[in-house]
Amino acid sequence: MLVCGSAAAQSPAPEQIQRGAAIYERNCSPCHGARMQDPQGAFDLRKFPHNERERFIVAVTRGKNQMPPWGGLLKPEDIEALWAYVLSAESIYGR
Amino acid sequence: MRLLATASAILLFGATSVAGQTLDELKNDGQLNDALKTDNVLTYGMGYHQQRYSPLNQINPKTVKRLVPVWNLSLDNNWGEQAQPIVYNGVMYVTNARHTVAIDVGTGKQIWKHTLDWPADTPRVVCCGVSNKGAALYNGRLYRTTLDAHVIALDAKTGKELWKSKVAEWKEGYSLTLAPLIANGVLVTGISGAEFGIRGFIDGWDPDTGKQLWRRHTIPARGEKGNETWPQDNNAWQIGGGSAWITGSYDPQLDLMYWGIGNPAPWASQSRAGDNLYTSSVLALRPKTGEIVWHYQFTPNDAYDYDACWELILAELSVNGRMRKVAMQLNRNGFLYVLDRATGELLSAKAYEKVNWASHVDLKTGRPVETDIAKSIRDMKATEHWPSTRGAKNWQHAAFNPKTGLLYANTMHEGRMYKHLETKPYETGQRYMFIENLPLARPADQPIGHIEAIDPLTAEKKWRVPLMDFQIWSAMLASGELLFTGKHTGEFIALDAATGRQLWQFQTGSGINAMPVTYTYKGKQYVTVLSGIGGLYWNINREQLKDKVPQGGSVWTFALLPD
Repeated sequence: MLVCGSAAAQSPAPEQIQRGAAIYERNCSPCHGARMQDPQGAFDLRKFPHNERERFIVAVTRGKNQMPPWGGLLKPEDIEALWAYVLSAESIYGR
Repeated sequence: MRLLATASAILLFGATSVAGQTLDELKNDGQLNDALKTDNVLTYGMGYHQQRYSPLNQINPKTVKRLVPVWNLSLDNNWGEQAQPIVYNGVMYVTNARHTVAIDVGTGKQIWKHTLDWPADTPRVVCCGVSNKGAALYNGRLYRTTLDAHVIALDAKTGKELWKSKVAEWKEGYSLTLAPLIANGVLVTGISGAEFGIRGFIDGWDPDTGKQLWRRHTIPARGEKGNETWPQDNNAWQIGGGSAWITGSYDPQLDLMYWGIGNPAPWASQSRAGDNLYTSSVLALRPKTGEIVWHYQFTPNDAYDYDACWELILAELSVNGRMRKVAMQLNRNGFLYVLDRATGELLSAKAYEKVNWASHVDLKTGRPVETDIAKSIRDMKATEHWPSTRGAKNWQHAAFNPKTGLLYANTMHEGRMYKHLETKPYETGQRYMFIENLPLARPADQPIGHIEAIDPLTAEKKWRVPLMDFQIWSAMLASGELLFTGKHTGEFIALDAATGRQLWQFQTGSGINAMPVTYTYKGKQYVTVLSGIGGLYWNINREQLKDKVPQGGSVWTFALLPD
C-alpha cells in the first residue's frame, strides 16, 4: 500500500526506513511507543501530517513541549531517516 | 502530654542557633521521643527511618473538616513538582528541577530563590521526567542535586552558591534527581541513568568543601567480590545500570545506610547472564567509607526493570515473637520484603499484588522461584506479564504507622504484553533497553491500582480502596489516624487511616505527584504539599489529562480554621 500521491513520488529507500526504525526503536520508542503503537502521553506519530516534513525536522532537532532537542545527538541524515520511517509507519503497521 | 511535648519543642526552638541544625537534630527528626522537634522536617521521609509518620494530632478525623489553605506560592515551573519540603526554624526549603526556594512558613513569602541552568538537551538522558525530589540541610547549608549531574551547596540563609561538584558527565547518560542524604556527617548522593547503560554508584561528599570522599559502584569491578555474577567474556558490567535514584534510609545506631539499587541494563537480559550484582538489590553501607556491610538481591538477573530503588522503611517488628529491627520494601516486583537490617537476613517476602513471573520467594535461598512466564520472556516471546515493568508499586512512597505496624501504600494493578528484543551494541548516552511493552485491554471494572493498608509480614490488606482512573501519589500519616495523599487530577485528600474512607479534599491548581509533610509553627499544626503535574506518570497520561489538569508548580500550605 502506498502512503499518498505526493509522498509516493519521493518514496524513501528501504535502507533509509530501516535505519529510521533502528534509531526510533532505541531512542524514540520509550516515549512514542513500540512501533508507534503505544504513544501514551507523547505525540501519536501515526497521526503526523505527511506534508509537514519541515515541522517534524525542526521539532526533533530543536525539541518541542516535553521533548528535548535531538540535534546534538542525531545527525541531519538520522532525522531524515526517522522521517522516512514515520512516513512509512502506516504502510508497515496499518493505522 | 503531647501539649507538653509541643511546648518543650517551642522552648527548644527558641534556644536553637539559627546557624543550622546538627547531626543530633537529624537523628531525632521523626523519632517518637522527647527530643522530637515537631516544628522541623529535616529528612527525606520525615525521619531517617522514612516512615512518613507524625504524632501531631491537632488535625485529626474530627477536625479535618476545618482544614483550609493558608498560603500558596508559585514555583514558576512547568516541569513538575516531585519534592518533599524541608522545614527548619520557620523556613521551608523547596526544590524542583530549575529552582531552590526558601519560604517563610508563617507568611508564605519567598525569602530567596536560586535558579539552575542546564543544557536544553539534558532531558534527553532523563528517562522518566524532569524533576527533583528535595534538598538536605546541615550546618546552615542546603544541598541539592542537578539534572546535569552535579551536587551543589547553598547558604541556607541567602541561597548563595557555596560549592558545586560534578558527579558525572550527563552526555554519557548520568543525571541526578534525588534528594541527598546526610548520614554521620557525610553528604551522600546516588545516580540515575540505567536506561542509558551507565554503571551506577553512590557517592560520599565532604559537606564543607564538596570534595568526594568515596565512590561505591553498584556493580563491582573485575577482581572485586560480586563481579563473578557478570559475564567474564564481555564488558556488560561496565554498562550494566544499577542506578540509585531514591534517597536511602539510615539507622544511626547501627551506622548503616540502606540504598535500593536499580535495574540492570539493558532491560533485555540475553547479553548479561548471571545474577548481576548489585542491581535490583539493597545495599547496607557505612556512611563514612561506603563499605558494603551486607546486600540482598530481590530480583537476580532482572529481566523486567524491577528497579529496587524504592524507600526502605525502617521499623521494629515482632517476627515470630521476637522484636526485630527491620527494613521493609514494597518492591516493584510484586513482593513485600522484610529484612533484618543488622544482618540482611530475609524474614518475609509475600506477594502483595498480582504476580505471574515468579510463584514465590524461597525463604531458604532468598531467591524468587521463576515461572514459565519468566522463561517465555527470557526466550524473547511477547508475554503477558504481571506486574508490568512499572511495578506493583512505583516510587510513590508508602507510610508506616509504628503503633499499628501497618504500611499504607498506593499500589498499581497493571500487566503488559512484554517482549525482549535483540540486544544491539551500546552507544554512549543513548537508550539501552531493547524491549517492547504494549498495553493489555483493560476491562472497565478493573482498577488501575489501590490505596491500601497492608500488614508487612503477611501482605494481607486491612482495607483496600480501588483506583479507577489515575495514580494517587505518596502517602503521609498524621497521628496515625489520617492519611494524606494527592491525585494527579489535583485533589489533595485526607483518608481515615482505619478504613480508607475519604474525609476531606481540596482542589489544588495542578496535579499532585509529591510528598506531603506536617509540622508545627508557633504551636499550630500545618500540612504542606507541592502541586505541579510532571514526571513519568504525566508523560504516560498527558493525552488524557492535558485538557483537564494544567501544568504549573506551587506550594500549598494548610491549617485548621479556629473553632
